[in-house]
Amino acid sequence: MTLSIEKTRSHPLAASAIENLVTRWADKYGDRITGYIRRPAQAARYAEFPEELSADIREALERRGVERLYSHQREAWDHVQAGHHVVVVTPTASGKTLGYNLPVIEAVRTARAKALYLFPTKALAQDQVAELLELNRAGDLGLRTYTFDGDTPNDARQVIRIKGDIVVSNPDMLHQAILPHHTKWAQFFESLRFVVIDEVHTYRGVFGSHVANVIRRLRRVCAFYGVSPIFILCSATIGNPKEHAEALLGESVHAITQSGAPCGERHVLLWNPPVINPDLGMRASARSQSMRLARHAIRLKMKTIVFAQSRLMVEVLTKYLKDVFDNDPRKAPRIRAYRGGYLPTERRETERALRSGHVDGVVSTSALELGVDIGALDVAILNGFPGSIAATWQRLGRAGRRQQPSLGVMIASSQALDQYVVRHPEFFAASPPEHARIAPDQLLILLDHIRCAAFELPFVTGDRFGEADVGDFLEVLSESGVLHHEGERWDWIADSYPAGAVSLRSVADGNFVVVDRSAGKQLIIAEVDFSSAALTLYEGAIYMVQSRPYQVEKLDWDGRKAFVTPTTADYYTDAIDFTKLKVLDRFDGSNAGEGTCHHGEVHVVRHVSGYKKIKFYSHENIGYGPVTLPDQELHTSAVWWQLTEVSLERAFASRQEALDGFLGAAYALHTVAAVRVMADGRDLQKAVGSGDAAWFATRDTQGRGQWRDANGAPRDPDSTAHFLPTLYLYDNFPGGIGLSEPLFRQAAELVQQAIDLVQGCECSGGCPACIGPVLNSEDSGVSTQRERAATVLGLLGA
Amino acid sequence: MSNVADRLRLLRKDAGLVSRLPAHVATTVPSRVDSLRKLLHTRERSVQKPLAAPAGTEIAPGVRYVEHSFAFETEPDLHVPRLADAAIDRRRLLCFDTETTGLAGGVGTRAFMIGVASWDANALTVRQLYLTTIAGELEMLKIFASWLREDTVLVSYNGKSYDAPLLKGRLRLNRVPHRLGELMHADWLHPTRRAYREILPNCRLATVEREILKIVRDDDLPGSQAPAAWLAFLRGQSSRDLSRVLDHNRQDVITLMHLGDHLARSGALRVEPKIRK
Repeated sequence: MTLSIEKTRSHPLAASAIENLVTRWADKYGDRITGYIRRPAQAARYAEFPEELSADIREALERRGVERLYSHQREAWDHVQAGHHVVVVTPTASGKTLGYNLPVIEAVRTARAKALYLFPTKALAQDQVAELLELNRAGDLGLRTYTFDGDTPNDARQVIRIKGDIVVSNPDMLHQAILPHHTKWAQFFESLRFVVIDEVHTYRGVFGSHVANVIRRLRRVCAFYGVSPIFILCSATIGNPKEHAEALLGESVHAITQSGAPCGERHVLLWNPPVINPDLGMRASARSQSMRLARHAIRLKMKTIVFAQSRLMVEVLTKYLKDVFDNDPRKAPRIRAYRGGYLPTERRETERALRSGHVDGVVSTSALELGVDIGALDVAILNGFPGSIAATWQRLGRAGRRQQPSLGVMIASSQALDQYVVRHPEFFAASPPEHARIAPDQLLILLDHIRCAAFELPFVTGDRFGEADVGDFLEVLSESGVLHHEGERWDWIADSYPAGAVSLRSVADGNFVVVDRSAGKQLIIAEVDFSSAALTLYEGAIYMVQSRPYQVEKLDWDGRKAFVTPTTADYYTDAIDFTKLKVLDRFDGSNAGEGTCHHGEVHVVRHVSGYKKIKFYSHENIGYGPVTLPDQELHTSAVWWQLTEVSLERAFASRQEALDGFLGAAYALHTVAAVRVMADGRDLQKAVGSGDAAWFATRDTQGRGQWRDANGAPRDPDSTAHFLPTLYLYDNFPGGIGLSEPLFRQAAELVQQAIDLVQGCECSGGCPACIGPVLNSEDSGVSTQRERAATVLGLLGA
Repeated sequence: MSNVADRLRLLRKDAGLVSRLPAHVATTVPSRVDSLRKLLHTRERSVQKPLAAPAGTEIAPGVRYVEHSFAFETEPDLHVPRLADAAIDRRRLLCFDTETTGLAGGVGTRAFMIGVASWDANALTVRQLYLTTIAGELEMLKIFASWLREDTVLVSYNGKSYDAPLLKGRLRLNRVPHRLGELMHADWLHPTRRAYREILPNCRLATVEREILKIVRDDDLPGSQAPAAWLAFLRGQSSRDLSRVLDHNRQDVITLMHLGDHLARSGALRVEPKIRK
């Protein structure tokens, strides 16, 4: 599909280098560009400084070139003065920082008020302090702003607690260091008037549910000190900023969604790699396209950022770019990698290099999606769809600061979600960003935070914690000896520090450290979270840091350590895993066409059976290795569909065909479901199996359904008495995080969308865009895989 | 799988936490309390009758007061050059020590016992307060705060980093006005360390007392067992060890007075350029 490429051709001699590049690419690769979205430059909308703003603050701003406010900054001021909590939703570099700094600085100077700023990462916090210090110097305002994080030395902490006007920290520090020591912060809390929470769109899912509970604890402590601070929240564009802010805060929040900041023209190309094997519906890799475009842009002296979907892909892409641009070891590197798992010092160093303009290309995971100040970039290349419209715009927004025109390219991988988006450019251009969801009353998370809250202040019978009635929790915590119940009071009595045992970043505990023990040293070079350890740190795995390959020699699973040594391997490794499910409990059910649809709780077992060795550049598979690791178990919520044996026998010639149909249907349903909920594709998973984990189905290399028993051994589908295939979509978090329940409620629409997707596809027998990559060989019978999937979906449709 | 406890147990396992809970198959739907009980591995406890307190008189609801006096001949002044140029009138000294519910730190750790020793006319008086109910804390802290006069000089062992901040936190939490933060405070840990770091295996008060002051304690309850002793009493299980905690705490504050004299005599309190190295 092409979308008004003519537009570019009508400006062949446009002045901007960006437009020239767009034109060149459109001429050369027109058939790969499925959509061209041009967002016009937007003129600024200004508002006057508020009358009541102190003269010296105004002068400080004028000295820094700010002569009036953008409209959203003034709107924030007015609502904050009226005592409302606000959430400001505006793009990167729109001056949202001034929007919250202004009321805070005014109150600090006129009313000796104090403010707490929370950012999701240390890097963002440090940026913020740098900016406040500049404004402070410009006006000699006497503001005392400090960061308070894990790196803050002990002797500095006391000064910060007593002297800090603005304390800049993160939710983890609030949770583990500030709230459990709130009496040391008594003076701070007594004057606390503002809490600023930036990047609230990142507080979703498990992390967001934890943060909502930390905010409950913060408000509880504030109430103890007799204060009720105003919350100023900021968010990147999401579909439900007001609802999300209110869920985090548990109170009514005013949303400011119209930005008054000007922005440069933005060119966005949706890019589908060319078809290289029409029979298989196989396309060139997104990686090959990203590298081609990135090389071209960097050679044209355009500062370029490439976003990759995984840490592994960051390393692979960095290596490829370095091989081109960094082959002179005497020169400073022009290409850098940036991702979670690097040590903080290394990340700060890369941020500095980016800001100073010494780096021409950076390859990053979502870690640079947030507002870390990395200076102006010209081109953003997305190697794969980030999983949500919101994250896509956030990443594209990384290019084009300071009102310059910018270019973004979203390159589709062969995954269905990517193919869906890239083939429906109108969907991409028009659809509102997704909703952020949290589940603060998730039992396990709630229990953790009630413990922490009880440590901080005693509960009194009848107290609530957020929405939750805590009576039951208090009773059992007292029976377990953690609380002491006396009269109406429930006091913490145990000799432990509950916040120390709770990590906000995931339900899973225990990060793995990667230890380089070459040359007799033991050097920690990276950290890997629990959930991805089994997929990346098995013995034999190649683990890469800044594209340097290390081989995992030994994995100490219980000690959470992987020992590695540098290697010169010319390949990387990719884990082979499979998944089986068992239904534990049904919460709700309904008819779905001839079958049924349920929502409930499932037990998921993920098994890593081995790994593939993949050669750099050629990407051919050059070998396998075995993996012996404990199974990853997960209890979570799911939505699932089933069809009776009778229906299946009527509709299909064989069980094999029915199985193919289920796998294709699962693929299509997963695609449309992932678009519906603001989940990264990874947060929602799919599977096909029996309802009792007796068997499950995977695809073989041809894309045909393969029936496997509970141990993973291939079996004949006709070998069992009962045949009740089940199609699951499940939350990929322990305990579930609220994705599958809305999917159950929208089940009928989902099935209909999946039918449209499968029937509307232009491929012959099935492709990555509809039912997944399949090979339709001649002996596969009369129906194609796509038709089988359509049959299953048709039976499940109304 | 409607059993919340089982669910939580399994979630904890998924989360990489080691579960100590037994496998359990629910046959009936239990209440949430029962479910949580299983999760936390507890059972409903029968309510025990409160035990008789081991010593002292009830000075306020939930607070008992114990007082002992001893003959104690010494100089009427003590010179602590780090605090004041002139010698300090010994009657101003208040040696103090707390017994707490643990060492975890943070707002959730509290003092259940406070002992102080003060000197007048060749007699040492030890006053001790301890809680028989949690609700007594407010009154205990108020009484302790009333013992702090404007010219009081606090004496402790590691109290600057441990006991005083902890008490300040509890006073703040209970909204008791106090002058703890304004008083002069002599913490003998630091001069002791300077003097004996290279002589003693460690500088814990018990070691210093035994090796340097040659004080021998009978049937001493190690300080680390104090929290459990108090909890056993609070829960109505046993009061035996609590009286040993009282003895231990009393000896600690007496030792503080001896230690001050010893440090002064040995010159360890002098402010000098560093002697060693």
